[in-house]
Amino acid sequence: MDMLIGYSLYGISLLTVGGIYAILALGLNIQWGYAGLFNAGIAGFAAVGAYTFALLSTAPNPYHYGGLGLPLPFAILAAMILSGCIAFLIGLVCIRLRSDYLAIATIGIAEIIKLFLKNETDLTNGPRGINKIPRPWEHLSEERFYTKGPMSWVMDAASWDSFFDKLPNWWWQPFFCGSILLLVYVIYRFLEKAQRSPWGRMMTAIRENEGAAHAAGKHVTRRRIEAFVIGAMVMGLAGAMLSQHLKLIDPTNTFDPSKMTFLVWVMLIAGGSGNNKGAIFGAFLVWTIWSASEIFINSGLNIFGQLISDMDISLLKTRAGYLRMVVIGLLLQYILQKYPDGIIPESRPTSTGR
Amino acid sequence: MKTKIATGLAFCLMTTAAQADVVVGNPMAQTGPIPDLVAPMVQAVDMAAEHVNAQGGMFAAGEKFKIARADSQCDPVAAVDAVTKLINVSMVTAIVGPVCSGGTIAQAESVSIPAGVVTLSVSASSPMITNMESGTDLVFRTAASDAYQGVALAELALSKGIKDIAVSYANDDYNAAIAGVFAQAYAALGGTITSNQAHEPNKASYRAEVATLGSGSDNLALFAYYGSGGITIMRNALETGAFSTFIGADGMLAQEVIDQIGAENLGKATFTTSTSDQTASGFTAWKALADAAGVPAAGPFVPNSYDAAFLIALAIEKAGSADRSLIAGALRSVANAPGEVILPGEFAKAKSILAAGGDIHYSGAAGPQDFDENGDVAGYFSANVVKNGVWEGAIIK
Repeated sequence: MDMLIGYSLYGISLLTVGGIYAILALGLNIQWGYAGLFNAGIAGFAAVGAYTFALLSTAPNPYHYGGLGLPLPFAILAAMILSGCIAFLIGLVCIRLRSDYLAIATIGIAEIIKLFLKNETDLTNGPRGINKIPRPWEHLSEERFYTKGPMSWVMDAASWDSFFDKLPNWWWQPFFCGSILLLVYVIYRFLEKAQRSPWGRMMTAIRENEGAAHAAGKHVTRRRIEAFVIGAMVMGLAGAMLSQHLKLIDPTNTFDPSKMTFLVWVMLIAGGSGNNKGAIFGAFLVWTIWSASEIFINSGLNIFGQLISDMDISLLKTRAGYLRMVVIGLLLQYILQKYPDGIIPESRPTSTGR
Repeated sequence: MKTKIATGLAFCLMTTAAQADVVVGNPMAQTGPIPDLVAPMVQAVDMAAEHVNAQGGMFAAGEKFKIARADSQCDPVAAVDAVTKLINVSMVTAIVGPVCSGGTIAQAESVSIPAGVVTLSVSASSPMITNMESGTDLVFRTAASDAYQGVALAELALSKGIKDIAVSYANDDYNAAIAGVFAQAYAALGGTITSNQAHEPNKASYRAEVATLGSGSDNLALFAYYGSGGITIMRNALETGAFSTFIGADGMLAQEVIDQIGAENLGKATFTTSTSDQTASGFTAWKALADAAGVPAAGPFVPNSYDAAFLIALAIEKAGSADRSLIAGALRSVANAPGEVILPGEFAKAKSILAAGGDIHYSGAAGPQDFDENGDVAGYFSANVVKNGVWEGAIIK
């Protein structure tokens, strides 16, 4: 029974993190898949979202400013808006750049954001990061929430306390995971609708032939800024969800481009850029490979050791970490070589939705 | 083909969990920024497990003490994922590790504290860990907090007659934390901080930084890693004549510093590091075992890693079962006085005392390892100066 719960909880955590990455991949899909904007600064927008959420929602704290203890939905909304505002300012300056120049500019901007977060020590606690970030559902069992309204209107603090004591310690996990999957679904529906709308077809036209779209009277720059801002808002939302999942964020290790920018690109390209289903599928697939490979490598080595009993596998086991990175690399290579257009390639939208 | 893969995967999953042994999770950072520091720490953890299993194993039945290892990469995302797998899939009784402070705080707050699992970190030294928990008692560490080392360094500087000092620290979590503690303690003890600035690691030149810092003082408190900028700063400081006296902590203590700067230029350089009291019986016992196994006995955090794994084994033995909820109390009981003193490697002795209902008090390789109410330990620090071309350390106090 414990084992069954354990495996389910691990499955839930795979879906949770996979879902957060799916939101990031959907945000990138608006920018790259719809509008052809090469954003290589995903980590920067995620960091803006994560830090905004953390500063607004944590309890007051001597290490950093903020700690306003605002309600979580408000902080999430603020994270999206701030991320969108920053993207708007960047878009005004950079959006006219051709794809590879835009990529260089966005890498630079992501680094500037990270350096800002790292050096404004009073605001963000610098490289030491912000901890005790509240997580939805689980936060309800924190004293500062159940002693105040609206929770205190239902029951008094003592009854809430005993209520949470009776629940198993993992009760919030399915709810948190469900909330993230719901967000993924809502964003997916929204983006599908947008893609099939005149706006989405105009985006495809701009992506495929900017000159022709311009000649047809479309305001190319404004449309590209729109896609950039919407994508960044979705990334800001993903950043906020990530900070809730981790409960500690720091500028250098958490928002390392290899995991926050390039891994998202791999997810989108493997799944199928331009296709929202592909983006979601790619995110879950790549994250599962990333995470579960550790289990399979370790147990694979155990089986290997049992089959070949005269060999000492302890040496191999100390290298399991590196072996895992090799396996992940090989699997991603395989997917990208086998499906150059992505596992679920883009299907051209038609006005009837078919 | 597909069914074969599916059965293979299912079989893999079965073997990871289907074991009646005592399993302890060990999320070390084999990949990530510090793999060469972590490798001997991993060996030390494995050594502790070997000692336990060679001396009768766990409980009366002699169950095996197993280490389930995962890779936390010094990164909150990877650490949370690694510990989720250890707790839910490997079903570990407790966590020994993770290595870096950021990963430790993230995995503890996100996974192990909500699941009620004890974390005993081997090298996380951030002062933030001290007051991290609210209402639970689940996070411990065998490495001393930087808060202690920063204060020790401030006292050392003043006792050497350094009345004013400039502070420069590399902008990462470790160096920023210890520099903050140092500056606070130094000012509180009556010293003057002439300037206090962060520098970005891995730059080719620090002449601008050194020039700004050097106007007010001849003394520099340098918190950096020797491999990523520390040596360059010292060289620039000596070239421009901005500073003559240097003090600092762990990150700068390497033979490479002497090789590159030259022993003749380091006459007024003192660096502290967390160390073991090398005359204590715990360290002597550990050194004999480590030398026999070919593990660097005095390597950074290597004795701490052994202590952590061995303490968890003792705590589980004391608890009498692999029940997660009993470990925290048992850990305090075996690590703190009173009780008969147990040295590194003496598992059989501890086991027989516990079986007879006695009390034990582990005196570890890295120090006494008595946990205070926050789960912190006091450590020993040494002040290291260059003598005959090598660093030579002496215990402070």
